[in-house]
Amino acid sequence: MSEPTETSDAPAVTDRRGAYVRRVLADHAVHAAVVVAFALYPIVYTVLGQTPLGSEFEVFLPRVHAMVAVLYIGLFAMSFDFISGYTGYLSFGHALFYGSGAYLVVLTATDKVPLLGPDTPFMLLILVAGLVAVALALAVGAVSFRLSGVYFAMITLGFAEVAHVFIRNWDHVGSNPRDGASIGAAGDAFAVGVPGIDALQVGIGRLVGDEFGDVFGIGVEFGTAEVSYYAIGAVVLVCYLLMQRIIHSPFGRVMIAIRENEERARAVGYDVFRFKLAAFAISGFFAGVAGALFAGYRRTVAPGNTFDLFFTAEALLAAIVGGFGTLAGPLFGYLFNASVEGVLSTEPHGIARYLRDVLSESTLSAGAGGVTVADVINVLVDGRADLYLGIVFILFVLYVPRGILGTLRDRLGGHVADRLPERVRSRFRGRNE
Amino acid sequence: MIRTTGLTKRFGGLTAVDGVDFELGQNELCSLIGPNGAGKTTFFNLLTGTLAPTAGRVEYRENDWVDVTDDGPHETALRGIHRSYQITNVFPTATALENVRVAAQAHGGNDAWKLWRNVSAFGEYEREAREILDRVGLGDETDTVASTLSHGQKRHLEVAVALAGDPDVLLLDEPTAGVSSDAIDQLVELIRNVAEDHSVLLVEHNMDVVMDVSDRVAVLHRGELIADDDPVAVRENPDVQRAYLGGYEADGDGSNAGGNDTGTGGEPA
Repeated sequence: MSEPTETSDAPAVTDRRGAYVRRVLADHAVHAAVVVAFALYPIVYTVLGQTPLGSEFEVFLPRVHAMVAVLYIGLFAMSFDFISGYTGYLSFGHALFYGSGAYLVVLTATDKVPLLGPDTPFMLLILVAGLVAVALALAVGAVSFRLSGVYFAMITLGFAEVAHVFIRNWDHVGSNPRDGASIGAAGDAFAVGVPGIDALQVGIGRLVGDEFGDVFGIGVEFGTAEVSYYAIGAVVLVCYLLMQRIIHSPFGRVMIAIRENEERARAVGYDVFRFKLAAFAISGFFAGVAGALFAGYRRTVAPGNTFDLFFTAEALLAAIVGGFGTLAGPLFGYLFNASVEGVLSTEPHGIARYLRDVLSESTLSAGAGGVTVADVINVLVDGRADLYLGIVFILFVLYVPRGILGTLRDRLGGHVADRLPERVRSRFRGRNE
Repeated sequence: MIRTTGLTKRFGGLTAVDGVDFELGQNELCSLIGPNGAGKTTFFNLLTGTLAPTAGRVEYRENDWVDVTDDGPHETALRGIHRSYQITNVFPTATALENVRVAAQAHGGNDAWKLWRNVSAFGEYEREAREILDRVGLGDETDTVASTLSHGQKRHLEVAVALAGDPDVLLLDEPTAGVSSDAIDQLVELIRNVAEDHSVLLVEHNMDVVMDVSDRVAVLHRGELIADDDPVAVRENPDVQRAYLGGYEADGDGSNAGGNDTGTGGEPA
């Protein structure tokens, strides 16, 4: 190529790069907005808590500590949606992968895993947790994908229950395996960031994590919950982007083709068994990572909050509310569920305690037919989140079967990330004209 | 292009396909007719590896004859044997374009395993899909969701999906099923068009269509091949008359093989 051509090409290359950057920014405008909203949440929560209506905000907004759980359980729910929402195979044993990741972290920290010492960097542990889950998913999937529909759901559930029973009785975990295992406040916090460089890592965990005073010099203090929220949020964001990337790849299109019509997908030339198995393994990987993040933050694991069928049901509920086959939907679904649970909780920040504090004694004892306001609060409000979430679940299945994000997509006529900016732009154009 | 030797399929006591020797030549259009329950769809399923035969062999001509008897459906598809279905069997919530695009992508080697690449980086499959949709007359419906297409359009899409990936052999299972008479002409035109550069085995009940487009007609009756000849000879064949055609005349008003769905020699489906 001659020199003059190169010089004349230079601005064109810059232009193309500029166009590329603009396109990426436009494509991810909604993603960026969501990330910013999540990033601002702890600050907004703190600021609102200091206003005259602070105690009301604290009742209705989830605490940052609860938001950390929204992130890692949200990741678990997204990994559940990755296989169940995109290939149509309901993985009722998904808790197996989450549990294996969680137990791996705690057992490694207590020096009970061969080849991995307690000082293994947490970032490496997350990866190993994912890979262990991949191995389990390949083994479970190799058997389970011989079946389909409800039989697939049942056999995966069977595998998870076998693991659940095993972990409840495995002496290696601790002296009382039914209660699980705990690291408590002993030892260092698990560090998220770049392994080996202290300045680029922060410790997570409510009891032992890092905290920073007066961030940005505006009087905002980040406690352990806030620091963990950002660190875990960063990992969850990376995981979401990776899953999203795969969904939008040729592989993701095959997953959708399998969901839509497996027989035809096979007839056009796809070895659907291998595709399903690979999708299951990828989904298992992210579930394992979610489990590792949970264990890293809570520093304690028990069979009931890891391997249990009811934990998979959390993901199912989140996916139903948020929208099956939307990837991000289940995270919002779980956020919704966690918010309801937070408001109706029996803890001091719950609405029941708030009402008892705010309402006068005469109001609380008022009532009719022997039923007082206090009774109503006790019976119908205090800690009754499960009751209402059950009703919400039924209502969603009946009237909003596509979930929050799925319905939004239907209304907008495409992916929210694509359509919302278009709508906003055309609205603005309409105003300018 | 594809041949069978002694191909047999038994379901318990029922012999659905019984020792069939059959060969389809290059760029030949052969129709496979027979009453309901004659074993036509089972024969298709044996050719595409959806069912494993009880006995006999299926071979496919690449450079030499290759035994494909034990191949699964995706393996026969990748070799170049594609099929369409009697009941429309596409990806219902995907657009017409995506239906054909994802089918074309299956033939791209490891492209479907490139997890990290965006699907938009593989423009060749989209181009191929657009060309095929133009060819089958759905060029204006690329962005229409498959489930919202009319029945006739779905039958065209069914053929379009089978055409993706440039197959050598097309097995078309009743492409005109349920299509109104005025839309049949377009489908006949499409069958003729695809037969120019493909070997086509066509299962069809509409005898006008069969007599019109076929180079050859094979007749299955109770799993046995009772005739395999040019259309005129088959029409005159007394065995075929007895078993299936039941007095069919090319210009008569009974265009649908003597009411074969319920009629002569027809066993339950």
